Amino acid sequence: MNESPLIHVVDDDESLRTAVLRLLDAAGLEAIGYASTGDFLLNPPPDRHGCVVLDVRMPGPSGLDLQAALQRLGVALPVVFLTAYADAASTLQAMKAGAVDVLAKPVDRDTLLDALRRALARDALQRTARDEARRLRERFDSLTPRERQVFDRVIAGKVSKQIADELGIGERTVKTERAQVMTKLGVGSAAELGRLAERLAQLSIQ
Amino acid sequence: MVHGNSRLLPADIEASTAIQQTITTSAGLPVALFDEFLDQPRFGGQVYEETFLAYLREKYADRKPEVIVAAGEDALRVLLTYRSRVFSGVPIVHLAVSSAFLRSHAPVPPDVVGVPGEIDFSATVEQALRWHPKARILVVVTGVSRWDREWEGRAREEGARFQESVTIEALSGLSTAKVLQRLSELGDDAVVFSPGYFEDGDHRVFAPRESIAAMAAASRAPIYGPFNTHLGLGIVGGYSWRFADAGIQAAMIVNDLLAGTPPSALRLPEEMPTTLNLDWRQMRRWGIDEKALPPGSVVHFRVPTFLDEHGGTVAIVVAIFLLQAGLIAGLVLERFRRRSAEQIAQKQANELAHASRLALAGELTGAIAHEINQPLGAILSNAEAGELVLASGSDHREKLQAILADIRRDDQRASDVIRRLRGLLSRHEVERLPFGVDKALGDLRSTLAAEARRRGVTLEVHPTSADATIVGDRVQMQQVLINLVMNAMDAVAGLPEDRRRVVVATIVTPDLITITVRDQGRGIAPEHMSRVFDSFFTTKPTGMGLGLSIAHTLVRSHGGRIWAESDPPEGAVFHLELPVASEKGSTSPEPA
Repeated sequence: MNESPLIHVVDDDESLRTAVLRLLDAAGLEAIGYASTGDFLLNPPPDRHGCVVLDVRMPGPSGLDLQAALQRLGVALPVVFLTAYADAASTLQAMKAGAVDVLAKPVDRDTLLDALRRALARDALQRTARDEARRLRERFDSLTPRERQVFDRVIAGKVSKQIADELGIGERTVKTERAQVMTKLGVGSAAELGRLAERLAQLSIQ
Repeated sequence: MVHGNSRLLPADIEASTAIQQTITTSAGLPVALFDEFLDQPRFGGQVYEETFLAYLREKYADRKPEVIVAAGEDALRVLLTYRSRVFSGVPIVHLAVSSAFLRSHAPVPPDVVGVPGEIDFSATVEQALRWHPKARILVVVTGVSRWDREWEGRAREEGARFQESVTIEALSGLSTAKVLQRLSELGDDAVVFSPGYFEDGDHRVFAPRESIAAMAAASRAPIYGPFNTHLGLGIVGGYSWRFADAGIQAAMIVNDLLAGTPPSALRLPEEMPTTLNLDWRQMRRWGIDEKALPPGSVVHFRVPTFLDEHGGTVAIVVAIFLLQAGLIAGLVLERFRRRSAEQIAQKQANELAHASRLALAGELTGAIAHEINQPLGAILSNAEAGELVLASGSDHREKLQAILADIRRDDQRASDVIRRLRGLLSRHEVERLPFGVDKALGDLRSTLAAEARRRGVTLEVHPTSADATIVGDRVQMQQVLINLVMNAMDAVAGLPEDRRRVVVATIVTPDLITITVRDQGRGIAPEHMSRVFDSFFTTKPTGMGLGLSIAHTLVRSHGGRIWAESDPPEGAVFHLELPVASEKGSTSPEPA
């Protein structure tokens, strides 16, 4: 994943927004500014590596409102909050909702860039996990119903004989199906298949 | 009572009156007093006197007097001369008779009694010379009648004593015109002595007081005389006894005789006491110091000073004045105290208003921090961006210029916020200065914009149609407005967005400006309506209940009114009515 990050800056204060954009630009980061929560929602970001810098307090829906909206919309960009007045309640709410950090204005460059690095790292991680899950899901989705029945029983630790009996098919047929599943899912052993199943379970929870 | 002189002579009138008033009753019966006048010295001579006595004998044939009073030496002389023929055996009481006369008629019968009266020429002259130390001439004025001649002789006799210090100039037997001429030529080196005269050198007849009055009018030198009856005619005065006192003394003897006391048993003074009688006006005229008077002197005709004349009234008036002054002083003091009390109360009110502003600012902390940190954040980011741009080495002149311009602008923004805040937070002396309402409303909007944003409240502030000027303390008015708007924002908290609106508007008339703060909140409950401006009344869980109470006080001190209207659930309107300064900007500051 060599995609360059894109940082979204949402702040109603034009002066501050401009300054932050300038700073990010000078630091070699690509960034786009939005004047309000609505502005951001009306121009949905491309599915690209990046993060969001959000002002907590804005006219209309606040940064916290946007954070919630993004989650509802399945936009998984990590959020770094900037606030001019960090009251405990909104800070707590932001962190609980998964913000990377809540930074008090005026924020110095190192603090901001460090938070952005962490946000981007988290985005990269999430993105990798999402890619992996998607790939797994695609593979899994390519299984035939019979193959899925065999898969379920293999990862449940059952031997071919038991599976054949349960499914009312021949033992040979079971072995053929199992080989097919392992090929499709790209694993070489039953143990690997077990780990894959665990991973898949984790991803489907997320 | 037989008078030597005429009935109109003041001395005789004075004596007669005193006798009439002093003679009491005889064994419970009223005493009849009859006056007879010899009219000496104008009429005289043996035939006249004998005829006069014959007349008395006939007149009083059936009314024999019990006591005869002889007033004056002439009367006594005639009565003694003819006593064997008229009123023989009737006791005689004399008055105004000198010891010298009595000595010359010695032996005086024992039933002829009285207190001799000496007229002290020398004492008077001595006193006069003491008062007029420059005097080198003593002028003695007398006439040509027998009586006048007696006085002339006496003055020459006694005046000899003063020859060492003064020259005695006797104006005797001259015409009145010449006398007056001479007197008018005198200077301050002269002193005049005169008993008055009955007849001048031209044989013109006078009452002595007439001659005295004429002399006093003409004389350039002070005149002294032996008779207290001449006081008031223009003489300074002299040693004398009062004819009234002589009359009283005689009457007391008459009383004793009528009561049956034998003449020999009477205890009488040696002589009539003399006093120095003086005319206050003449003393002033001749520069005689009143403080230099011999003890026992009697000053007549003193023009009463205002105090002498109206002493009682003056005392009352002064007392009333003092009372009033005291009352006024008391009231002034009271007023002063009340003023200081008012000043203290005013000071406390100011302190409270200030404390209330601090509390307001405390509520605004979040908004204020936001307003300051926002530009500070921009400044920091711009500065750091600038550093990075510079570090990149390439020429980014334009970019750096833009950055610096933004830094400057944000710096201004931050300092504006601080300036507004400082105004609100400062503990300042209350001002009474004209200020524009629109400017105040602009400040209100700037101060509360961030807070409104934080609370998600739409704050609309409409300027006046015509910028009105009011006189007062703009910080305090700002405080009142902020308070009202904050309350309004509290009232709409938690309501749907379309109701989270606060509108500040104005109505201007020539005399008044009314600022309204309207919200669409829950309104004020009717039972709370009458108490919203009370101290410590609040419906907010954390409120102190002082904001509106203080606002009320501040508006009142600006000569304005503040009141609330509410029709739940339609929200509330607060009206703030203030007098408009007469002419925009021209109102001079009034003292607070």
